[in-house]
Amino acid sequence: MTTGIELRNLRKLFEGHGHASWAVDGVDMTIGAGKFVTLLGPSGCGKTTTLRMIAGLEIPTSGQILRDGQDITDQPVTDRDMRMVFQDFALFPNMTIQDNVAFGLRVKSKRGKYTEPQIQQRVAEFLDLVHLKDHAYKKPHQLSGGQKQRVSLARALVTDPKVVLFDEPLGSLDANLRKIMQLELIRLHRELGKTFVYVTHDQDEAMAMSDAIAVMSQGKVMQFGTPREIYDRPANRYVASFIGHAHIVDATVDSKQADSLTVRLGNGDRVGVRGKADAAPGSAVGLMLRAEDLTFTDTAADAIGGKVVDSLYRGEYVEYVVALNGNSGVVHVHARTDLPQVAHGSTVALKVNPAKAHVVVH
Amino acid sequence: MRAFGNRSLVTTLAMSVLAFLYAPILVMMVFSFNDSQYTGLPFNGFTFRWYEALFRDDQMLTSIWNSVYVGLGVVVISVLFGVPAAIALDRYEFPGKGMFRRIVMLPIVLPGIITGIALLGFYLTIHLRLSLYTIMLGQGTALMCVTITEVFARLQQLGKSQAEAAANLGANDWEIFKNVTFPGIRSALFGAMLIAFSISFDEIAVTFLLTGRENTLPMTLWSLLRREVTPEVNAVATLIVFLSIILIVAGMYASRGNANEREA
Repeated sequence: MTTGIELRNLRKLFEGHGHASWAVDGVDMTIGAGKFVTLLGPSGCGKTTTLRMIAGLEIPTSGQILRDGQDITDQPVTDRDMRMVFQDFALFPNMTIQDNVAFGLRVKSKRGKYTEPQIQQRVAEFLDLVHLKDHAYKKPHQLSGGQKQRVSLARALVTDPKVVLFDEPLGSLDANLRKIMQLELIRLHRELGKTFVYVTHDQDEAMAMSDAIAVMSQGKVMQFGTPREIYDRPANRYVASFIGHAHIVDATVDSKQADSLTVRLGNGDRVGVRGKADAAPGSAVGLMLRAEDLTFTDTAADAIGGKVVDSLYRGEYVEYVVALNGNSGVVHVHARTDLPQVAHGSTVALKVNPAKAHVVVH
Repeated sequence: MRAFGNRSLVTTLAMSVLAFLYAPILVMMVFSFNDSQYTGLPFNGFTFRWYEALFRDDQMLTSIWNSVYVGLGVVVISVLFGVPAAIALDRYEFPGKGMFRRIVMLPIVLPGIITGIALLGFYLTIHLRLSLYTIMLGQGTALMCVTITEVFARLQQLGKSQAEAAANLGANDWEIFKNVTFPGIRSALFGAMLIAFSISFDEIAVTFLLTGRENTLPMTLWSLLRREVTPEVNAVATLIVFLSIILIVAGMYASRGNANEREA
């Protein structure tokens, strides 16, 4: 028996106005109990629909959802005991903050489980947990966006669910507030030990918070792995270009060693890559080069040549846009700001960190 | 407002429009207090005589009560059928939904006389005796569309996520309606009820065709006016103007008090 949530070949067809399309197209995934798992992808990739199917708000067209080995595909939303935090907060505007949080404890299906004093105490405890103790008697419209989202969080957590689902909960907050809320969520996940399933289109958010990330595109999971795996060893071109500042340069496998390989760029420059790749010598691959893994070097040996076509001062670093020799591609280079500025049009040699260079086959 | 140029011209224009609209009503109100048999100058002195006469006039009082009774019945019918229809339109997909949404406004667009003739023919065919209840039924079915469109628009504006959040927290359908849906549509519903009541109150075309022996207020006034404009008519009209103002203000307060709470 697997604990946690298991999705088996989950599919969802959306029909409307004469055309139909698969919003979710064969998702297989195991979300371990107590983990923080993020579904990441651009809008329309099926991440929210997948989350809504887990919650029971959307009925799968085919496939199965299992919870601790039990099939819950047909279980109604009210019985699933998974709480959702909505992007638009979905607070009840006519109720006080206290009554909003108490709602899930007062519904008929929970009747008899808690006495009114217990409810009061629990609500107070969870309002304290999200630092909203002093706002208990306000109405939602009197709170700021960040406060509303914390009410929504308290309302979900107060019923002590094993699973909490987040649908882009920080999407409508400004950048500073997002950072604060990210830390809050990490803290709550660590303290409460619940399973968090989180949907976002923000890769920084996903990287910072998750135990595992599922990168989705067009209803399919492109890669499911830890943030480090996804960043350092993307499974395909899509994931490589979606995460981080990566540029993919067309290359050919030149030679293969036990745990490394050498690829040749279009202009003949060779780059050594550590690790294994599922590609035979002579086959075409994509060489992923991240801006932070490239450095300028004085020696032309073991380096790739190019010409600086643009530079942007970013504060933390200077970003150079370098066109590789022989029209074989464009890469970005992040250089420390205290190094001498490289002029436009200068010919440069770039050294690639072999531990971080990565080859994608698909 | 520099672009609009002459400020005094704009003010004058605005005032004349208001005067054109409201001066006759004001004149009518003034004459309801005039101590004279005839509507018109000179102003002979202030009196409550016509109001006293009004409250002694059984025919008038009965017709006022009939109008109120019909109006309340119309409100009940339009709420009872309009709210479920609006919820169904908002929540469910069913065959002919698009068509239903469009033709539901038809009774309000059609001239009242056409609706009246159609309903009269229908009632006669099924041998329904004409009475205040046939008026209620006729106006109620026509004015249901006010409730449907008002409540449906509010439901669309509210969105699904509050109801989904409630279901996600374990609430059953009734709890969702009681705690989420109803508080959300309350002010729209109240507004629709006011509109339905006031349209019903002065409706004459449908009523004229569907009434039995009883008369509603507009019908009584109309028959009185065929002889002359008596000060008593002015008095009852004045009372109705004040009642309307109270209803409008109540409606405005109800929807304002709710506006903050709707979005959150």
